[in-house]
Amino acid sequence: MSGATGWPRQVGGVVVLVATLVMAEGVADTPRQTIADAARKVVKIHGAGGLRGLESYQTGILVSPQGHVLTVMSTVLDADEIDCVLDDGVRYRGTLLGADPSRQLAVIAIDAADLPFFAIADNDPVTVGTRVLALSNLFGVAVGDERVSVQHGVVTARVPLEARRGGYEVPFPGDVYIIDCTTNNPGSPGGGLIDWEGRLVGMLGKELRASASGIWLSYAIPAAELARGYRDILSGTVSAPPARDAASFDPLGLGIVLVPDLLDRTPPFIESVVSGSLAERAGLSPDDLVVAVDGRSVPSRDAVQRALGMLADGDPVRIAVVREGRVVDVELGPRPPLPAGKRSNTPGVEQDQ
Amino acid sequence: MRLSGKPVAAGGRVIAALRAAAAIVAIVLSLGQPRHGRAGGEIGLAEERAFQAAAAGVAAAVVRIESSGVSASAVEGPAEAAPASGPSTGLVVDPAGWVITTAFAVPDDVKQAIVVLPGATTGAASRFAARVVGRDTSRGVVLLKVDPPAALPSVGSGVPRASLSVGQWTIAVARGWDLATPNIAVGVVSAINRAWGRAVQTDAAVSPANYGGALVDIRGGVIGMLAPLPADTAGMMLGTELYDSGIGFAVPLEDIRRVLPRLQSGETLVPGVLGVSYRSRDVFTGVPTIATSRPGSPAAEVGIQPGDTLISVHGRPVTRIAEVRHALSPLYAGDELEIVVERRESAAQAPRRVTMKPRLVANLPPWRRAVIGIVPKRVAVKKEDDREGAAQPVVVDWVWPESPASTAGIVAGMTVRAITPPGEAAETVPVTSSAALAGVLGGVEAGDTVTLVVRDADGKEQTQAVTTIPMPTDIPAQTPTRPESPDAAEVVKLEAAEVATPPIAVIPAGNEDDPVGVLVYFGRPHGPVAVDEAAVWRDAANRYGVAVILPGSTDPQRWSRDDIRGVARSLDSLRGRRAIDPSRLAVAGSGAGGAFAWLAADALGPAIRGVALLDAALPRQARVEPAEPGRSRWILFDPPRTDGSLPPRVEADRERLVRAGYDVGVLPERDTETLPVETLCSFVEAIGLL
Repeated sequence: MSGATGWPRQVGGVVVLVATLVMAEGVADTPRQTIADAARKVVKIHGAGGLRGLESYQTGILVSPQGHVLTVMSTVLDADEIDCVLDDGVRYRGTLLGADPSRQLAVIAIDAADLPFFAIADNDPVTVGTRVLALSNLFGVAVGDERVSVQHGVVTARVPLEARRGGYEVPFPGDVYIIDCTTNNPGSPGGGLIDWEGRLVGMLGKELRASASGIWLSYAIPAAELARGYRDILSGTVSAPPARDAASFDPLGLGIVLVPDLLDRTPPFIESVVSGSLAERAGLSPDDLVVAVDGRSVPSRDAVQRALGMLADGDPVRIAVVREGRVVDVELGPRPPLPAGKRSNTPGVEQDQ
Repeated sequence: MRLSGKPVAAGGRVIAALRAAAAIVAIVLSLGQPRHGRAGGEIGLAEERAFQAAAAGVAAAVVRIESSGVSASAVEGPAEAAPASGPSTGLVVDPAGWVITTAFAVPDDVKQAIVVLPGATTGAASRFAARVVGRDTSRGVVLLKVDPPAALPSVGSGVPRASLSVGQWTIAVARGWDLATPNIAVGVVSAINRAWGRAVQTDAAVSPANYGGALVDIRGGVIGMLAPLPADTAGMMLGTELYDSGIGFAVPLEDIRRVLPRLQSGETLVPGVLGVSYRSRDVFTGVPTIATSRPGSPAAEVGIQPGDTLISVHGRPVTRIAEVRHALSPLYAGDELEIVVERRESAAQAPRRVTMKPRLVANLPPWRRAVIGIVPKRVAVKKEDDREGAAQPVVVDWVWPESPASTAGIVAGMTVRAITPPGEAAETVPVTSSAALAGVLGGVEAGDTVTLVVRDADGKEQTQAVTTIPMPTDIPAQTPTRPESPDAAEVVKLEAAEVATPPIAVIPAGNEDDPVGVLVYFGRPHGPVAVDEAAVWRDAANRYGVAVILPGSTDPQRWSRDDIRGVARSLDSLRGRRAIDPSRLAVAGSGAGGAFAWLAADALGPAIRGVALLDAALPRQARVEPAEPGRSRWILFDPPRTDGSLPPRVEADRERLVRAGYDVGVLPERDTETLPVETLCSFVEAIGLL
């Protein structure tokens, strides 16, 4: 391992950096300038809601000089009149141009021209650990020409939202950035996430949390997804939202009888194996504990059914079991089709009410 | 891999240099030289590269942990962030396959823990079945062992805590989100010796998504393992609910390494117990003067006596109880330490120092309160007196019927001057306050004979041998009432800052120095409480000299934590109007208010001596800490049903409380339609029993 080499490199880097500071012109703006430039492209949105626990405001970003405001789809937009307040305090009446239910994005049009706007990159060059700045109207505290709020942090991870702790509803198809500053606030959704060089990294997502772990998520939809969503909305080729229900597949279909589900998280021990089944041929035996299906952790009986349900008909079923203190990988062959009408809800994400 | 053990000060210097450079740039900027105008961003980007390099340096030793069969109730804490249903993180501490993680990821009832290696070369994850080898329940650390085919990259020795400074960068590195790329959160060191010396605090985002991960410095040196700390005995949760609050903890790797051999040998390390209680109840201002050494405890074994004042614990000078706790909390059962006390043989003599070497234990023998049967006259204790344990003569107010005191001829008006515990070598302890008397009795087992020096009303002193009895659990049919007063009890609203629904208080007639007992009564929650709800309490409050506090609920549907804060403030505000006897504080409640009364007592601390639950059982999430001298309570439930049995939940609670050493009784038969105000007020009087 070469972990010890990181430090001297850093020292070198610092020396070079300091030299750069003194000798030459840097490439990055000061954060202050970067923020000032970006804030001019962020819009405060006011719409429907205002009932207890349901905000009537969120944030959006300008993505074209002709007044296209990209934001996240929400109940705030369920209004005949959507107010968009620009950085300079000028208020426009916006109309909903279109929405992309699959990515949970929407575009509002305002009647303006020559506005500053974010160019949306079609790729996502941002890596984990990148410093980011989040600009949003969190808690609706910025009024009129008050500038939106700025938070700073780093990109914590880039993961498919559904992959996190197994049991999410899938709000959209791609990966999201998890960030380490708390942006799961009222008003934050639709805010801009930029790096320290002012490039648009993503858009702050909605207030969501996982039912399983209860953790509120601070995440952003990556720029490339925004680019695709914006394009689809303009061209009117939006796709349907992903299915809310994930299939559940009973391992009995493979010849595996798990122990009865008595606890809320029954560990998936194999009780018996149906003779002549795929499971028996693969060498599975009673008292094996199933720990992974297709590389996915399955800490409970429910998780086994869900993980099997995520496979397509005919996909090879790979299972890892613990037997006598060792992990054993087995392959059971192609997964049989789901029985007709056999679908069940997965525990999804809760939205803040 | 070993992360280099260079002193962190070097890193600190570079950061200082970076910041100094930033300051210089700022000055240059202010001078309006646009040539350097973009450099502030450069520093930010250089730091960004440093964060990523630090995380990359430790990444190979950061592994994923999966757990099978963790039941939902296994982890304490609110449902919000309870238990790890998804992947967690661990750190390889030894290339042979030793991995540390948190009790959050691998609780006691786990069926199988799996260590997942990211598989740097193949890209494919590889799973290894792990054995749970050791646990540290004090810090919430679990040691796992896997048998990998080859040596694993491991974290180094760790950054010494002594070299940390508040404000330096910290990077949290874990694999809770993504297996292939470790997830990163950045912050600074917020504090170095938190949670009674057990943890480093950081403002980097720490949550169930990265518990078990590494907290590293800007060079990748490992400071500690990210963890939710177990609930603290002072009632402050350091657990999972803090995840979005800018407060996170890491158990120093240095501390884990120190006990690694013990964990590897299969030990379960638990917090060490000394077995003393203090005269003062205020942890932060109280002087550590011993009230009780529990029989059979390490303290009693080495001869720590009531009245001794601790001046040094485990090499640290101490002047407050909190400092003792700081010195003791990092230690485990089995650890031996040095304690120096100051002992005063008599008021005339100068104190002398005694050095002792107790060995801490995991559990003390069960303790039950023993009493002699006197109820002292009420005293008013000012807050400032509580530091040393106030000096107040113990005058007998009344004698418990058919108690050892009544048999020995002790009568109202006598003063208890001194007590000698049983045993040949026992030294006589002057009774300077009821706390001092309670302290000595706390070290006595029921059936033991103590010798009392009492002075009667004429000033004649006599010596009496009294054999103690177990604490009675039911209140006597009659407790003395106060002489009839021409004035009625006063009903006031106890306004306090930041209390939305101020409680109504019924304050008995009398001047402000005339100490009262206090009963806090939680009824059905229904928002603010109205003045006329107090009417029913006025007579009883006056007769028993008990101030009754009726809190309102912030939420009209249910009791909430905010309401406990309101009660704590209203007690302070009552104290401003009227003297309170600190040994006569009780809470009561009925129905939902009953369960809440227990939570309130728990939050308000050991000052609450009595809890009465009408038509109620303990709340399901109730914590029941073992009773000990100075931390005991008398708990009353509703009387048995007509068939003589208690409702099953009440019966289960009763057994649980008795096992924990509490005094548990039942209320006298009552008409369930009316509030037993007389009984509850006399309960407040009865809890003064010694």
